Amino acid sequence: MQISKLDQMFDVLATRPKKRLVAAWGVDSHTILAAYMAVEKGIVDATLVGDEKLILSVCREHNLDCSQFNIVHCPTDVKSAALAVEMINKGEGDFLMKGLLSTDRYMKAILNKECGLMDPGAILSHVTVAEPRNYHKLLIVGDVAIIPLPDLNQKIAITNYLIKTAHILGIENPKVGLLSASEQTLPKIPSSAEAAIIAKMAQRGQIKGAIVEGPLGFDMIIDRESALIKGVDSPVCGDADCILFPNIEAGNTFYKTIIKLLKSELGAIVMGARVPCVLTSRGDGERSKLYSIALAAMLA
Amino acid sequence: MITKLDELAEKAKNSGKKTRIAVAVAEDSNTINAILRATYEGFIYPVLIGNEIKIKELLTSDIASNQFEIRNITEPNKAVKEAVGMVRNNEADVLMKGLIGTDTFLKAVLDKEKGLLPPKAVMSYTCAIEIPKYHKLLFVSDTAVLIYPDLDQKIAMINYSVAMARRFGIEKPKVALISATEKVSPSMQETLDYALLCKMAERGQIKNCIVDGPLDIFLACDPNSLAIKGIQSPLEGDADILIFPNLESANSFYKGLMLFGEGELAGLICGTTKPVIVMSRSESENSKYYCLALSCLMAEEK
Repeated sequence: MQISKLDQMFDVLATRPKKRLVAAWGVDSHTILAAYMAVEKGIVDATLVGDEKLILSVCREHNLDCSQFNIVHCPTDVKSAALAVEMINKGEGDFLMKGLLSTDRYMKAILNKECGLMDPGAILSHVTVAEPRNYHKLLIVGDVAIIPLPDLNQKIAITNYLIKTAHILGIENPKVGLLSASEQTLPKIPSSAEAAIIAKMAQRGQIKGAIVEGPLGFDMIIDRESALIKGVDSPVCGDADCILFPNIEAGNTFYKTIIKLLKSELGAIVMGARVPCVLTSRGDGERSKLYSIALAAMLA
Repeated sequence: MITKLDELAEKAKNSGKKTRIAVAVAEDSNTINAILRATYEGFIYPVLIGNEIKIKELLTSDIASNQFEIRNITEPNKAVKEAVGMVRNNEADVLMKGLIGTDTFLKAVLDKEKGLLPPKAVMSYTCAIEIPKYHKLLFVSDTAVLIYPDLDQKIAMINYSVAMARRFGIEKPKVALISATEKVSPSMQETLDYALLCKMAERGQIKNCIVDGPLDIFLACDPNSLAIKGIQSPLEGDADILIFPNLESANSFYKGLMLFGEGELAGLICGTTKPVIVMSRSESENSKYYCLALSCLMAEEK
């Protein structure tokens, strides 16, 4: 089924075998509550790797049934991250979730060359699925959090992650808008030139499974009228499923606009590792954290 | 629409006009032979600038003296300057190179104060090639001037070739951007440029044409190859214009067609305020004649 609302992920997941979440240093109330909600929803089994005493006290504090979790005791955040990654590599978990440790330490465990989660040459990137309240479908966007200024190869990888995510959400031939400041091809603006290159690659079948158009201004990606006024008639315009951002400032601003200005929900994950990795920020709402877990479960 | 080079010559003959051609350093049998036929046929009026005595020796006796003019300037550099000056002052419609090195000749054309190139304009070369095995003329650039054209120069090459094709009556020419493959690859710079050029044409930044590339010659000019490879191209294997990534490939392509493909051509320098003819000595008599006919077509007021 094609998912057009984030809640619909729960319906899909309910029909599938449960995925196993492994939370690295999952000792704080944010992580534990989010994982607990996901377990209660019946979409995942959860393992919390971390200091057992801390975990149990958070459970008591929030009146949670700690028997819902598989708790693996580990005394420090760094060791917990390594252990969580090791569990994934051993096939004891399907996806990873960040707990109370810093993003740096979490990423280090994932990126570790010998015992991390990366295949050689793989590119780690962040994918967000947003449900803006005044848009008629989900918007799958990247990269808003990891790669500051993606080069052409990284942009191609991100585009492929966006497309893959769309496919997993049941969107068969997603429409991808490549963002720049304008629809004109301006060789001196890297985002403009690279958008033209990526669009051509898609036309030649070097990027598959999607309709890709760019460069486009943001207005033209989400509003067909704006595109037609400027003489661009592409099926992507006004009906985009995915947006590739040229840099982290643009992407991150969009992400925060969704949350803070539009008061809309989203889910986000890190792609490019052997399994999806949940990377929620403490600022994210409870609902968004749950959606992130659901999204990871969909992709795992 | 002009689909054969002979039709191009017919058009020049029937125009009823005599295009004034300033020939720089004309004392050269090759050059004189090239212009004689067109002079006889009455569609050009050559002004032969150079050593008068030598020029007269080369002219056949039966050509009427009112069909041409000679300006006696024996110093080649001065002869070139005189020829360029005539074109600048609208005393001639076309400039043609005679017995002088291409470097010296083009230097005069490129001169910022006294030359024929508008400020910031790109000088390039386009030729129309006729080969029995293709169903129409094929416009090719750049076979002679730009060695490694950058993006802006490629845009100019497309614009000049499109302008020329439109003079032949092809309203919306199909422009193929030629590479060894149809794939976009960061290791081949021209394929990246081509992606930009396609999008520029799509966005109306390059006008009056349909552009696709990268394409190889098969995919550009043969619908069967497109079908076999399963590639969609708006050109449908029916290209009018081929833009090459560099001088070596374009030059080899056209020379291959001349030598092995029974090709004939008509070519010109583009980007100048008036047409400029630079011919290679090894070009066939017919091709030289077609170059003159082409210069007449391009010299016409739009």
